Amino acid sequence: MSERNPADIGGEQDGPIDTVDHGLKFWEKQANALRNTLTSRKVVRLDELRRAAEDLGLRYYRLGYFERTTEALRNLLLEKGMLTRAELERKMAEVRRRYDP
Amino acid sequence: MTPSAYTPAPRRRFNVGERVRVKVANPPGHRRTPSYIRGKEGAIERVCGCFPNPEELAYGFDGEPKRVLYRVRFKQQDVWSGYDALAEDFVELEIYEHWLDPA
Repeated sequence: MSERNPADIGGEQDGPIDTVDHGLKFWEKQANALRNTLTSRKVVRLDELRRAAEDLGLRYYRLGYFERTTEALRNLLLEKGMLTRAELERKMAEVRRRYDP
Repeated sequence: MTPSAYTPAPRRRFNVGERVRVKVANPPGHRRTPSYIRGKEGAIERVCGCFPNPEELAYGFDGEPKRVLYRVRFKQQDVWSGYDALAEDFVELEIYEHWLDPA
């Protein structure tokens, strides 16, 4: 039997459900906007994003919702060659310098 | 019963009311049929229509040929061992045709 995908947990025991509305952080809104733009323009498909999230394996559980979907999007864009690791690292370093000079 | 369909699905294998069993398979990859329902028997509740196959879309393919999607109704008793609430409790799942066999 192949390893079950991490989203396939129907029927399993779990802990209590956090029902508090924590609102959205600024970066989470930005992440939603980016993901929605890329799916509505069909640059990536929702099914691909779900698959990329499942491909995170055990990491799927360690990440929060927005971290998971953002990391899935990053991996998918790298996989499709829409951006390169070098481009991404360069941009991340640039943004980091703005906050941590 | 009249078959309902959100999009036409003229060449379908099943009709409303027919008994089906979900395939037992554990293929790797993006699969849209949860493990807990595999091998369970239920009845076609409605024909949802014909859609690109999400198990192919997930890898960047076009999802052709389209697959017929059904809403299938299962008795909770048939899904969970030791389910001791009402016999009329149901769970409904939307399942693609290639995951279904006649029961």
